[in-house]
Amino acid sequence: MRSFSNVNPKDLKEATGVLRQKGQAAAIVGGGSDVLGMVKERLITPDVLVSLKSIRGLDRVTEKNGEVVIGGLITLDALSRDPLIRKNYNVLAEAAAHVGTPQIRNAGTLAGNVCQRPWCWYYRNGFPCYKNGGNTCFSITGENEFHAIFGGGPSFIVHPSDTAPALVALDAKFRIVGASGERTIAAAGFFKLPADNPARENVLANDEVLSEIHLRSAKAGVRSTYHKEMDRESWTHAVVSVAVVMEMDGQVCKSARVVLGGVAPIPWRVPKVEAMLAGKRITPELAAQAGAVAVQGARPLAKNQYKVPLTQAVVKQTLVTLGA
Amino acid sequence: MTPLKTVGHATHRIDALQRVTGAAKYTSDIHLPGMLYARVLRSPHPHARIRKIDLAKAMVLPGVKAILTHENCDITWGSGDQLNQRRLFNNPVRFAGDPVAAIAAVDRHVAEDAMHLIEVDYEVLPFLTDLEEALKPGAVKIHETGNLSLNNQRQPQPQTYRRGSVADGLKAADRLFEDNFTSAHHNNAQLEIRVSIAEWAGDKLTVHAATQGIANCRTDIARDLKMNVDNVRVISEYMGGGFGNKNQCQDSDLIAAMLSEQAGAPVKLEFTRKEDFVAVHGRWSSRQSYKVGVKNDGTLTAIQLTALTGAGAYRKSSCDLSGTEIYQVPNLETSVSPVYTNTAVAANYRAPAYPQGVFGIESLMDDVAYALKMDPMEFRLKNMTRKFRDQTPYTSIGLEDCIRKGAEKFGWKQRWKPVAGSGDGPVKRGAGMAMGMFGSGLGRSSAVVRLDGQGQYHLHVGVTDVGTAAKTTMGLIAAEELGVPLEKVTVVWGDTDTCPYSVGESGSRTTVQTGMAVIEAVRDLKKQIAEKGVPKGNEVLTAMATTNPAQLQGQSRNSFAVHFAEVEVNVETGHAIVTRFVSAHDSGRVVNPLTAQSQVQGGAIQGIGMALHEELLYDKRSGLPLNAGYYGARIMTHLDAPLVDVVWVETDEPYGPFGAKTLGEPTIIPTVAAVANAIYNAIGRRVKSLPITRDKILGVLA
Amino acid sequence: MKKISRRRFVEGTSAGIVAVAAIPAAEAQQKAPVTAAQPGVPRTTIKVIVNGVERRMEVEDRWTLVELLRDHLNLTGTKIGCDRGECGACTVLVDGTPLYSCSQLAVWMNGRSIQTVEGLAKNGKLDPLQEAFIQHDAPQCGYCTSGQLMIAKALLVKNARPTHDEVRTAMTGNLCRCSNYNHYVEAVMAASGTAPSTGGGNAA
Repeated sequence: MRSFSNVNPKDLKEATGVLRQKGQAAAIVGGGSDVLGMVKERLITPDVLVSLKSIRGLDRVTEKNGEVVIGGLITLDALSRDPLIRKNYNVLAEAAAHVGTPQIRNAGTLAGNVCQRPWCWYYRNGFPCYKNGGNTCFSITGENEFHAIFGGGPSFIVHPSDTAPALVALDAKFRIVGASGERTIAAAGFFKLPADNPARENVLANDEVLSEIHLRSAKAGVRSTYHKEMDRESWTHAVVSVAVVMEMDGQVCKSARVVLGGVAPIPWRVPKVEAMLAGKRITPELAAQAGAVAVQGARPLAKNQYKVPLTQAVVKQTLVTLGA
Repeated sequence: MTPLKTVGHATHRIDALQRVTGAAKYTSDIHLPGMLYARVLRSPHPHARIRKIDLAKAMVLPGVKAILTHENCDITWGSGDQLNQRRLFNNPVRFAGDPVAAIAAVDRHVAEDAMHLIEVDYEVLPFLTDLEEALKPGAVKIHETGNLSLNNQRQPQPQTYRRGSVADGLKAADRLFEDNFTSAHHNNAQLEIRVSIAEWAGDKLTVHAATQGIANCRTDIARDLKMNVDNVRVISEYMGGGFGNKNQCQDSDLIAAMLSEQAGAPVKLEFTRKEDFVAVHGRWSSRQSYKVGVKNDGTLTAIQLTALTGAGAYRKSSCDLSGTEIYQVPNLETSVSPVYTNTAVAANYRAPAYPQGVFGIESLMDDVAYALKMDPMEFRLKNMTRKFRDQTPYTSIGLEDCIRKGAEKFGWKQRWKPVAGSGDGPVKRGAGMAMGMFGSGLGRSSAVVRLDGQGQYHLHVGVTDVGTAAKTTMGLIAAEELGVPLEKVTVVWGDTDTCPYSVGESGSRTTVQTGMAVIEAVRDLKKQIAEKGVPKGNEVLTAMATTNPAQLQGQSRNSFAVHFAEVEVNVETGHAIVTRFVSAHDSGRVVNPLTAQSQVQGGAIQGIGMALHEELLYDKRSGLPLNAGYYGARIMTHLDAPLVDVVWVETDEPYGPFGAKTLGEPTIIPTVAAVANAIYNAIGRRVKSLPITRDKILGVLA
Repeated sequence: MKKISRRRFVEGTSAGIVAVAAIPAAEAQQKAPVTAAQPGVPRTTIKVIVNGVERRMEVEDRWTLVELLRDHLNLTGTKIGCDRGECGACTVLVDGTPLYSCSQLAVWMNGRSIQTVEGLAKNGKLDPLQEAFIQHDAPQCGYCTSGQLMIAKALLVKNARPTHDEVRTAMTGNLCRCSNYNHYVEAVMAASGTAPSTGGGNAA
């Protein structure tokens, strides 16, 4: 590896201070797996790694003021096993349990997973694309099997995170701490389409850290689930995934949030589907219609047309399972 | 078959303790005093001429000890190409990954930093990634002889085989079938990355190599470095898999030796995983076109195969296709054309020419059976080979038993659906089967056995044990012939200074060929004991044998295999998984049922990965690989693996050690086709290109 | 005789040919190699417990944990299969938790306790997993074996009687290209005392 120095800030203030001072020369480390891979590939060439592992207290689930607060540094494994999360926010526990492998989940953090850079093979192989500081997206006329069918342009990456669709489906709030203050924004507002800035996937500034996730206290009758289709039985990113949160009144769905993964540069909400589920019993027929509506407006590229029927099937089957 | 005392009994490996405690020293585990670390700078272009290499910045980096380029190192790597002069550093470079320079430095990071400081000025040339494009008139020539690689007669013509007349056979047929199949380049992907450590003592060179054959590795190194073979020593005590990509000597051995010579210190050269994928080699891709003639009663009258295979940038192996030999047919014609492109080199990977060829022929034969409304198993029983190339009797053949016993274990009659694609719900089950065979020829090898005054036998064999348990197998054969327990035999392996010639673990030949030498050496030792008595104190008796049996005249020696797969396919999501698998094998007598079972289960699971996932994918516009590495290759994981049930059909084989035949490679030969046929049975549509990924399944169902 | 075409390297960077004493590999391996500090490369002093032994040492910030273990502590039982967190050959336990040691920096291990395959056997007695791996022929080439052992160890500490599918799920981050998955699962089941009726694999 190219040489760098590792710093262990004791708190977020110190961490963000280093980030501001070092600018592009610094990289944030949560679990470290993905960042080290990128350093090894020289996709990034930081002089300083700011390891957040040394900051205490950001690795747990707590309840305060009627909210559930999850520290951004909680490992994906701990999150997936947390009793409160499993009970009331199952979609998030399931999503966390679907990331990578057990060892990756033991190291990887929630914030790291949400902020993970794309796994587009052009980007990861150092092609001079938007994500690598260039001004083109090689997938458009290239090998685009795994690329976006929604929201693409000018870059057609898909967002790699499993937990991000779950958090958008839960309408989570993200607490962001920067060198000059902090802000809290809705999960849905955190992710940015490439049309806004094709080099980035979210709103984080260079000196900002995703420090906490806030979830509203659970309502009775809420059920949720995360379904992920992979290319083998473990350790791939989602080819297509769906996070569904439904508030049920007996057999009737009062309201729903449905968010797709693996199909767009951001977690992709499908409001039309959500609207058609509200106030209805989730029958197989309704689920099938929802699947069809979910893929309306899809614009597949040459080699990812299969994602359209796949998405349709995933939405249908997941709704049938959850609604049963 | 007569039961034996030692051979044929499940025995754990003699080096298992070392393997489970971390004590086994693999090549990369070796540290020599003063050892330097090396890295290779590789071409970022698929085809380019090097105008200039500027080493100035790299050379002044503290800790850099040696740098090689084509300008100061002109060594031909003989086993890197059978037809062309492939050098360690080529100009022009012919694929993205072709070595441009190598650096040795005081540690791995300095070597890597130096690599990034080398500046190369390339004249980028037109490149080819597609086989058909490469054969078009006017395509850029990758080698002087053109992009169609030469055949065995060194002519720019396809490699052909013919018996009877395909035209007559097709005329005699009631029904004709034609179809095309393709298979992808995919990687051996053994866990141990390529690594070599070289050190010089005067004119003597020692190479710690991760090699499947120390003897051939040594002679290759000596040939390429123009050295006396006695001055080269190759050591490979523990080897982390190869499946064919560590045969012979590799460029890493030669580069490490040259860097070591120039630096005056031992050099360790370890490739990265990505380098192992793009710059060593994988299995050759293929495009196969078949014509088949058949009578209404299911009798085959003709098979014709015309194929292109993807050699990549150099011709490292045969690039042939096998599979048609498993059928009895009077009229057969095969024509295979290896083609150069500016992509990763293709060469040996476990039964190099077979699983992709068998996928083609066995997919088509399945279609023929369905079209004739025959059970594919009955069709195979009717048409399977009974003599090699319809002429030469086999020394032993258990193919029919493999079909019948395998089918019974699998539950073929219950699991196979006469109407492909039938069944309710989105998740469809299906069953498929396929056959395969592999040569198990006799050949030259040597062994030395010593008896010391303490009553311990020492068996010296030139094996490295790539994971096949070859050391244990050799020990078992010696113990059986000696009539002593295995503990009385100490096996010495993995060092050309202490071990005689063995072909090495390629072509699945060690058990048969070196095993015969072991038996001969033991027989000689027993004769000496009978004459001289057992040695006492410091005395020792030594016997050796070099067996070089003549090739069998009028007989063919082969192993056979039949595989059965059950799959579940979700026709809405395209998700496919193998849920049940049976491998039935005739490899003659099974020397060690425990480790042989590992081989068979592993070969099948590896083959399922080839069927469903694996392909080294290139970006057509840049000529660069996109998914090199384990994540990209979608290698099978614990959760992908089905339980593989193994059925042994132990034929009474008159040749070979206690009647043992070849096993390692046949284990993967029918797997891919069995899975493909099961998917067809499940969904009623055929995917004709490997790997059978989700997008293709949804594609044929659309 | 070596041939002239193997030309000497550019003058000035090479120390020239020095006769290297033929030290047997095994002997040389006894000593962990000493690495001189590289100029300008940040180093940090850390304290780690490795297989129960506390060590204080200066590491380069860029060293990975597996590099520390293999290159500098001579604990070569832990293997590198991909160096990218994609294969599991480098799995070790950090404070009891299995991690890919290729994807952790040595400096992040300050104050932590690391167990490698060399620390599995206790007082000269093999761990039951090691025994079962031998009896059930779990290793073929053996290169992934240390990682498979460590992930299985972590599983059995948490879950002494796992089901078949729990074993496969826990071990899915550890590739075996010999694909001896059936025997690996069979061995772990045997070590847990849960006698397996069959080996691993997807249920029919």
